Amino acid sequence: MSDVAIRCEGLSRHYGEVIALQDLNLSVPYGSIFGFLGRNGAGKTTTMRLLVGLGHPTAGRAWIAGVETTNADSRAREKFGYLPQDPAFYTWMTPREYLDYAGRLFGMSSTDRKSRIEEMLELVGLQDAAHRKIGGFSGGMHQRMGIAQALLHRPPVLLLDEPTSSLDPAGRYEVLDLLDKLRGAVTVFFSTHILADVERICDTIAIIHKGQLLLVAGREELRERYPLNTAVLERDIASPPWSENLLVALRAQPWITGVTQEDGILRVVVNDVAQGKQALLPLILQQNIILTRYEWVRPTLEEIFLKVSA
Amino acid sequence: METVIVFAYAISILLMVVTPLVLAVLLRRRFSVPWFLFLVGSATFIGSQIVHIPLNEWLADVGLLPALGSLEGFPLWRTALILGLTAGLCEELARTVGYALLRRWRRFEDGLMLGLGHGGIEAMVFGGVQVAAMLTSLMALRGVDLATLNLSAEQMAALTRYLDFLNRSPLWAALPFVERCLAMVAHVILSLLVWRAFVQRKAWYVPLAIAYHTVFNAVAVYVAQQTESVVLIYGMLLLLLTPGLIWLWRVWRKEAGPRPTAAPLRVEWRCFMAAVRKELLQQWRTKWVIVVVAVFAFIGMFSPLAARFMPEIFRSLPGVEQFADLIPEPSVADVVEQYVKNLQQFGFVVVVLLGMGAIAGEKDKGTAALILSKPMPRWAFVCSKFTAQTLVYVVGFLIGALCAFYYTWFLFGPVSMGAFLFCNVLLFVWLMTYVAVTLTGSALMKTVGTAAGVGFGGSVLLMLASSIPTLSSMMPGALLAWAGQVGLGMSSEPVTANGGALVATLVIIILCVLGAMAAFERQEL
Repeated sequence: MSDVAIRCEGLSRHYGEVIALQDLNLSVPYGSIFGFLGRNGAGKTTTMRLLVGLGHPTAGRAWIAGVETTNADSRAREKFGYLPQDPAFYTWMTPREYLDYAGRLFGMSSTDRKSRIEEMLELVGLQDAAHRKIGGFSGGMHQRMGIAQALLHRPPVLLLDEPTSSLDPAGRYEVLDLLDKLRGAVTVFFSTHILADVERICDTIAIIHKGQLLLVAGREELRERYPLNTAVLERDIASPPWSENLLVALRAQPWITGVTQEDGILRVVVNDVAQGKQALLPLILQQNIILTRYEWVRPTLEEIFLKVSA
Repeated sequence: METVIVFAYAISILLMVVTPLVLAVLLRRRFSVPWFLFLVGSATFIGSQIVHIPLNEWLADVGLLPALGSLEGFPLWRTALILGLTAGLCEELARTVGYALLRRWRRFEDGLMLGLGHGGIEAMVFGGVQVAAMLTSLMALRGVDLATLNLSAEQMAALTRYLDFLNRSPLWAALPFVERCLAMVAHVILSLLVWRAFVQRKAWYVPLAIAYHTVFNAVAVYVAQQTESVVLIYGMLLLLLTPGLIWLWRVWRKEAGPRPTAAPLRVEWRCFMAAVRKELLQQWRTKWVIVVVAVFAFIGMFSPLAARFMPEIFRSLPGVEQFADLIPEPSVADVVEQYVKNLQQFGFVVVVLLGMGAIAGEKDKGTAALILSKPMPRWAFVCSKFTAQTLVYVVGFLIGALCAFYYTWFLFGPVSMGAFLFCNVLLFVWLMTYVAVTLTGSALMKTVGTAAGVGFGGSVLLMLASSIPTLSSMMPGALLAWAGQVGLGMSSEPVTANGGALVATLVIIILCVLGAMAAFERQEL
């Protein structure tokens, strides 16, 4: 068996003049948690729909676990579990009934279905709601239900389309924690525009923008690829705040490309590290700021993403 | 013996309707060819007949062809040749238009499916519907003194020959089926000849197809008039098909693409059964079963009650006393009339309301996308909805019919259970047409509202088509008249069966369900 869980070759989808996805070539290794990162409208959902066979590619092919998914071969659907961006269930069913229906579609035996349903309900924390109608579920419960139905038949590959985008912080934490638990057992292909989620759990990252794949790399490799070009400065509590004049002055420097401040921490991104190291500190100290931290760091994933998809 | 003959013909009719579908399913499983192409093939046949039938009538008017039912005074070879040529021209040119419009479908397998669709609908209409119509007409003529029918000698001879079939061995019932099978093979060969014209950019394949079609039909007409030997007639046709079959075999070996791996049939069947179960559960949980049963039970109870008491209510109205004697006494005929009318009005509305969201609603909400990302084949998704609705209406009809029967018996005295049940079977088939039309609308559209529009619009169009004089006897509307007559059988009135309308309605239902599947399998979710 190949060690590639998901493979795309020249996958494209055009809607008339609009290019939703162009020539996507991608290989996702087994066991990875693969973050598919892109802004809204970048082509993430289109890719997902093509991968699971709900959309028809204009060109190209895709395989999951070695079975082609772009030729309407329904055997391929046993190889993956899919969670769409806004999973919709039969509202008149209970989670147990829905999972039972899904289990029947996958040909699971009655005994296996029963035990696996309980296992899944426990995994996603829906045992207490197992007899309630899905129609009354919150967004977070829907998402957890979606993960349960996607994992029910023990697929080797899990495709999740923005699984955390509609969740509150607690719900996000729960879902990410759940996915983290699957590490190594299942290949997770996970699309999102929330960088913190990717940074937290993904070991490999792809960035897509306007239908084009811009880069694919391991999370650490990606950060290693970018130099220490960001100065982090934290002022003392007794120090005057970062003044608007200072921020304007910094932004006016030709060697500075970005300045952000949050909770008393200033992040200055430069394009000339040597000059930055020489000139930045004197500019700050001129304002009588007392620093408790001054450090040169690599850019965050967000900064890399913004740079790549600019 | 008579029952055996009717049964044999019923089997033959069934085979003529079902065989094209079975072959199409096999083709789909082997080559992953869409249903859409079967329907395009059917459309090319229907389109060709829209020109072909008036063309032949015009040629008869100008004296180049004999009038229908008479060959007298016309050289047989010329008649056979002209009939063959008009069929060849109309059908092959319609096929050419079909291929010209289908630019994306140029595989060998696509040509096979187009040919099967063309020959398949011909088998259903010219085979199933016509044989059923003829069989019921002949059954009605048994025991009738033909001399009282005011027929020409030639017509009388033909009618006597046809009636003679009812006295022959039941094996003769297989002949129409064999004939349609040969015609289907011919259509597949002809379809691939026209396909060749497009893929090889050699236009001469089209006149070749026309010539082949002309010769095939002309020989069929000529030989059938010259001999009654079935072996000779079918032997000649098989002989004519042989070069085409050899060519087809050679092209198949050269052009057929790789065989895609389809999911095992048992997997697809398992999904279908699971989906039917879910649909039935949904009908129950969403109270639709109760609504359907309540509506049909109400119709069943209300019709005899209204028939029985409406005249009394009218008589009791102030000012009507002087006309009281003019209001007729109610009878079973009034019950049947009320029952058919009520089912026509309320039943139709219920099926559109119940069916409009079946697929469109799931597409709109997103539930279809999630389920279809599992091993559920799209045909199973569509067919499960049709099957579940059919079962719910069976229950509704049974309860409604039992209510109507009981109240009629109670208010008007003993009536024939068999006749009333058969009347309900006919009404049920009529109603299922609108279930199928609404399902097609639901598959075509993205929202429930637009699906309802298409469902209502399609149903109204079908009703209007039922009122076109040349079509009316073969449309679903004719079943209402038949059902009314059968129902009247409860009061010993004569009944004229219309097997043609019954089979035609079943064919319309099949085409609608195929249309829903064809539309849905090509959609993105």
